[in-house]
Amino acid sequence: MKAIEINNLTVKLNGREALNKISLTLDEGKFLGIVGPNGGGKTTLLRTVLGLIKPASGSILILGKKPEEVLKSGRVFGYLPQISKISPDFPVRVIDVVMMGRYGRMGMFKWPGEKDRAKALEYLSMMGIEALSNMPFGELSGGQQQRASIARALAGEPGILVLDEPNTGIDVIGQEDFYHLLKGLQKRFNITILMASHDIGAITAYVDEIACLNNIFHYQGSPVGALDETVLTDLYGKNVDLLMHTDVCEKCERLRRT
Amino acid sequence: MFETFSAPFMQKALFVGITVSLLAGLISVFVVLRKMSFIGAGISHAAFGGVAIGFFTGLNPVVTAVFYSVAVALGIEFVSRKGKISEDASIGIFFSSSMALGIVLISLSGNYTVDLFGYLFGNILAITEGEIMLSVLVAVLVIGIILLFLKEIFITTYNEEIARVSGIPVRAINTLFLVALAVSIVVSMKIIGIILISALLVIPGATAQLFAKNLYFMIAASCGVAVFSTIAGLFLSYEFDIAPGGGIVLTATAIFLIGLFFKRRK
Repeated sequence: MKAIEINNLTVKLNGREALNKISLTLDEGKFLGIVGPNGGGKTTLLRTVLGLIKPASGSILILGKKPEEVLKSGRVFGYLPQISKISPDFPVRVIDVVMMGRYGRMGMFKWPGEKDRAKALEYLSMMGIEALSNMPFGELSGGQQQRASIARALAGEPGILVLDEPNTGIDVIGQEDFYHLLKGLQKRFNITILMASHDIGAITAYVDEIACLNNIFHYQGSPVGALDETVLTDLYGKNVDLLMHTDVCEKCERLRRT
Repeated sequence: MFETFSAPFMQKALFVGITVSLLAGLISVFVVLRKMSFIGAGISHAAFGGVAIGFFTGLNPVVTAVFYSVAVALGIEFVSRKGKISEDASIGIFFSSSMALGIVLISLSGNYTVDLFGYLFGNILAITEGEIMLSVLVAVLVIGIILLFLKEIFITTYNEEIARVSGIPVRAINTLFLVALAVSIVVSMKIIGIILISALLVIPGATAQLFAKNLYFMIAASCGVAVFSTIAGLFLSYEFDIAPGGGIVLTATAIFLIGLFFKRRK
């Protein structure tokens, strides 16, 4: 089955067309990177897929179902919104945040039990921050919060993981590790991943497909093809300097060794 | 102190006071976390309009205030969601117009002095048996409902979009909380008074948040502050013949300031 099927989708935000007649299909278990400039509609597309925004026209199917149905079930998606502004003194420990990811699976009137706690710890250790599980969430660094939030998104054992700019707050050296980790999760759990990013260079090595979005799709397909000058000019406008990344960053390697 | 609380009316006041404090302490946690202290103040002042409707029509003012306050709470939410004005402005309009309505109705109904003072500043002597029963029953019911939906209210407070993606009916949960807030205000009205009740919806939660590492601790601490302030306030009220609301809120404020002092030294 297709994880996501979008047909001729138009979404309006305050009367302005944020997405204009876009179409997209994604197979289950694939990793899709959505790149494009800020204001190009990346977040809008993700939120529409999640069922948080109603489209003006066109259709979306998530694993063959309408987004509203999927939203009500609360079990399909793991979602990492763009930087969640949590006040530093919000009374929640890391483990509590991760367990929130299981609420959709639990349903109403039920409380997290031992099994939920065990799952939460499992995902925390996968993210390498098990030791922080009893820390107040607000006392973590940006990168640690991001890792805990990804553990939360995974804790519900979702079929589709939706990540909006997940590398925010993670330093450059950490980012490579981070994408590597996502790739591993995709393979291990056969999760479909949708990730919005403006870092077109870095993600191409990890995603299966890439979609370049600026109100319409300027490119869709294998990642290598996206690093084409005409595609990038269409996407970001003129005067784009393409600085090629290689997989190995010598400076980082040196730093890591010291 | 035991002497003070041996008088039967003081025991009643204490009983109802502790019950509504537990409710206020619980609600206060979310009022603070959701940054709803202004809407709390707005609804409590609007309750004055509801009380006046009771005076004017001859119905029990507590009952009319419950319905009126819930209507105002939902009205604020509806207008700010549908209309083109901010929640802040919507609260400002509802709250002042309700007070204006109250003033007009009370002027028209003539006899107001003593009773009205009790509603505005709290008067434990003026609470009837029936009102005690009603307050306690409603308070227990609201506490039960909040605890039943605690997980949903908590995740919605944490992040509405994450809550929605988890299949939680966020709008229904928000409405439920708003109704609970309005009802809590009215059931505590006769103890603390309309003018000061919003303080008991903010100070316990704000004090608890200074030290809370998780939700359960925050709820327990907030309820503790609210209950202690109420007991101390009622004691002060009896000893020095002052309106209980003043004593309760000043005690709570003192606890908050002590907490803030220790927090800053940490």
